[in-house]
Amino acid sequence: MSSTVTLPADVLSEHPASSFWTLSRLAGAIILLMLALFAFLGPALIEADPLSQDYDAVLVAPGDAEHWLGTDQFGRSMLARLTHGARLSFVMALLTAASAALPGIALGILAAWRGGWVERLLVASSDVVLALPGLLLVLLLLAFSPGSFGPLYLGLALYLWVEFFRVARIEAARVFTQPVVEATLRLGFGWGYILRRLLLPALAMPMLTLFAFAMGSAVVAVSTLSAIHVGLRPPTPELGAIIVELMPHYSEAPWQVLMPATAIFLLVLSLQLFAGAKPR
Amino acid sequence: MKQRLMLRLMQCVAVVLMVGTLSFALMVALPGDPAMRIAAGRYGPDMMNSAIADQVRAELELEQPLAQRFVVWMGDLLRFDLGHSLVTGAPVVDEIGLQLGHSLMLALLAFAISLLIGPTLGALAGLMPGSWMDRTTLVLATALRAVPPFVLAVLMMVIFAVTLRWLPTAGFGSWQHLLLPAITLALGLAAMSSRVMRDAMVRVTREPYFAHARLKGLSDRAVVQRHGLRNASLPVFTYLGLQLVYLVEGVVVVESIFAFPGIGHALVHAIIARDVPMVQGTALAMGGLFVVLNSLVDLGCVQLDPRLRRAA
Amino acid sequence: MSALIEIEQLTIKTADGRPLVTDVSFSIHAGEPFCLVGETGSGKSLVMHALMGSLPDELRCSGQIRYQKENLLALPAAQRRAFWGRRFALLPQEPWLALDPTMTVLDQVAEVLLALEGMPLGQARKLATTELSVLGLGDNLLSYPFELSGGMAQRVSIAMARIAASPLLLADEPTKGLDKALCQTVADLLLTEADAGRGLLVITHDLDLVAALGGRLGVMRDGRLLESGVTEPWLKAPTQPYSRELIAAMPQHWPRPQTKVSAQRSEVVQAQGLSKSFGDRHLFSDLDVTLREGEVTVVLGPSGSGKSTLGNVLTGLLPADAGQLIWPESASPLKYQKIYQDPPAAFIAHQTLRQSFDDLLALHGLEPARLNHLLSELGLAEALLERRPSGISGGELQRLAIARALLLEPVMLFADEATSRLDPVSQKKVIELLLAEVAERGLALLLVTHDPALAERIADQLIRLDQQPTDAAAQQQAA
Repeated sequence: MSSTVTLPADVLSEHPASSFWTLSRLAGAIILLMLALFAFLGPALIEADPLSQDYDAVLVAPGDAEHWLGTDQFGRSMLARLTHGARLSFVMALLTAASAALPGIALGILAAWRGGWVERLLVASSDVVLALPGLLLVLLLLAFSPGSFGPLYLGLALYLWVEFFRVARIEAARVFTQPVVEATLRLGFGWGYILRRLLLPALAMPMLTLFAFAMGSAVVAVSTLSAIHVGLRPPTPELGAIIVELMPHYSEAPWQVLMPATAIFLLVLSLQLFAGAKPR
Repeated sequence: MKQRLMLRLMQCVAVVLMVGTLSFALMVALPGDPAMRIAAGRYGPDMMNSAIADQVRAELELEQPLAQRFVVWMGDLLRFDLGHSLVTGAPVVDEIGLQLGHSLMLALLAFAISLLIGPTLGALAGLMPGSWMDRTTLVLATALRAVPPFVLAVLMMVIFAVTLRWLPTAGFGSWQHLLLPAITLALGLAAMSSRVMRDAMVRVTREPYFAHARLKGLSDRAVVQRHGLRNASLPVFTYLGLQLVYLVEGVVVVESIFAFPGIGHALVHAIIARDVPMVQGTALAMGGLFVVLNSLVDLGCVQLDPRLRRAA
Repeated sequence: MSALIEIEQLTIKTADGRPLVTDVSFSIHAGEPFCLVGETGSGKSLVMHALMGSLPDELRCSGQIRYQKENLLALPAAQRRAFWGRRFALLPQEPWLALDPTMTVLDQVAEVLLALEGMPLGQARKLATTELSVLGLGDNLLSYPFELSGGMAQRVSIAMARIAASPLLLADEPTKGLDKALCQTVADLLLTEADAGRGLLVITHDLDLVAALGGRLGVMRDGRLLESGVTEPWLKAPTQPYSRELIAAMPQHWPRPQTKVSAQRSEVVQAQGLSKSFGDRHLFSDLDVTLREGEVTVVLGPSGSGKSTLGNVLTGLLPADAGQLIWPESASPLKYQKIYQDPPAAFIAHQTLRQSFDDLLALHGLEPARLNHLLSELGLAEALLERRPSGISGGELQRLAIARALLLEPVMLFADEATSRLDPVSQKKVIELLLAEVAERGLALLLVTHDPALAERIADQLIRLDQQPTDAAAQQQAA
């Protein structure tokens, strides 16, 4: 049980840890960096084609001299498929998160700044998006052409912008009601100065956090949709698809199932660790 | 509160409009003869022939502008006339009724298990921040949250069905079939709610009213029971809204992986089979249920928090 | 009369041996208030928690605290805890924060009996009802804390302390966060308890409360008890220099400002028939105000009375609902500057003050020498600018805010409760500086406050907004 009295921090000479680089954020950043190297350097360094099949070397266990991480049921190089899969996840996550963040943040600031019907309209449209769970929305769009990239990207961005909008609006509204805004304007500064010196610095941290969470959500969504056969389809080296494809061969080749699962886990974990606590 | 319920009502309308419009667009956009597809959707694929298709074409005036056809489509929808599945030919309403029951059973069981684990562990961890209990649950919850439901489902299957052979891998029929999907969902839910409860508990124990309750003479037990738990569970209850998102999405994913014949499984199959009436029906049912449950959460929050109750 | 509590050579140290409180000795007698006076960080709260037995485990106590011939410091923690509520009752700081937001007032009072006497709920509620009714809260039994005003929350906490009939009452900053006007009410409530024969220890930095309570007092600074004695003579003739400084900082002891030459002064703003309301809350109507150069205008009123709103309207920061405002033709908004209640909230938090001031100088093409001159005029070291707003004291930051406003050579300054968050010594200093600027530069000063003593001391023109605030409004203000 915590102590009954809370003393001012200086009495107990407690110094709050450095605010940005917490231990978990550092760990997240390191794992993320290693995964990024694997995903972006891997395809360039590894000559094996993730699609080329070799029926003479099917389900080779990892540790083989020729196939370091083994092969799948068609004799394709697991290493090649994993690096390409990781790159695909990274690119999709970055693309969708960026496409959601830019309009989300801009509209959030606009809503908080203008208020009135502009704000009501934007809030109402975000509420409409939230009426359906995100995956359902993406599924409905994917129904138009299962397995293709366009609706997947569109659906994810359409859903993810809401979170950026919501938090940016609340944060901006909080900043705008602070006396410092009134004081700064009265001293003769313009809105541009307030945007640069007050608003953007205040938004930077929560938005970075949301961006990492959005990337995590995108990674999960993309792999999940392939795993349930409506997202990107085999033979595309997509991590979720690789897992499900290899599931029937689990007894013979357990590592081939566990490796892509670990890759997804590490990617999502590192993004969540890097993100820190979610702003509300 | 009125405002909140108005919002939910608006969302309900939005669900119907969105699902209806997208389904209509799907009907129009898919390759092939829309009249044949509509006729099959209305009367079932077995009943369908070219004469009926022509009849539909004439009745719906398929040569008519899209707008008019859209109005007819939405009219059917509002009369709860959801048509027939293009695959089985059964009325969509009947199919959904059955599947929804299965899914609700799964979701309720998962939710109940998660409530047993999550908030309980969270409250204990929150009362002893920094203890081994707190740290262990933190590590477990962080790891679990980084595992997407389908990966968790695969792992559960691999461990309990393939390796240990305790439970069946997939399918439906006995309570054993329900167990793995439910535990999979429950673990994900508990990972989230335990941390919310933990953080809320820590915050409450630092509140002046918590300290003062001890100072006015209450025992530790009484302080936690009378002032800790209720205040700490407020954010957990509010958080149920987000848990619902996870639950609905999780039902879709977990049912598909375990081939559990619920509504999520049906939606995914309908999409793959291009069974537009079923897509519409299942999406409507899930979206509608989602909004209704959210409204219940809203009402619950008001009941729990006197500040909201008085404002209502 | 034998002492209820005797504290002898109480010393409190951190785990690493840093002394926080050193050699404090005093005694508390039944029926006589004892006030422990000092600034934040003087160690007065630690003394109270040492007496209560609620210090964090990391702190080490030595010396003696005797209650009924027993040294409390020698008792095991569990035994001391059994005294809570039964022997020692605590009135918490800012009681509206110390009440459970989700439980009714009645149940929070009744549960004390549940816990201490194991009384059945029905009987406990009956007794709690009586207790609350005596304190004038009969209509608020089923209210939740957010529905109470600050003064009402204070009375609820008194009911909780009284119901167990403990012989000693400890009050922690009982006037913190309340309007000055409520000070006497709080003192009366506490005196009733003392008159009933209880011991009363009051921790405060509010000398008005000390004066109203009488009894005995001790003055603490840097963890030491500078002096202790009977309150009344101390107020008239303090012996310690620090005590003299404290007493001199009370507005009623300030020297009267010199009467000014009644030269022809021009108006900086003229307002006629002003009205303003927020939703259903009606603040003021048909108000005529004229602010002139070189004149101090004070708006006095309780929390929620609309006094800050009036200031904002006169400064042109808020539109009025009705009425006419006339500013001189040449006036630019830049010449009407505002000083805020919470100094850090008026500065950009994440950049150094130097950066903020450089931006301001560059924006208006001002000479840095002007700033340096102003800083020395206001008694501020230039090195302060290298820090961030959170890195310097409230009093210094408030003076920097004044320097910032003066850079633009305003004709009017609107000080919105600008000293209410400062300790009395800093408050005096800031007000003196403001008055000096009024005299020297002939600016119009509009000061908004809830402290009648301050208002009466410095006002050339006094506007009272007396409208009783609704409880909700007062509570909002308090929170």
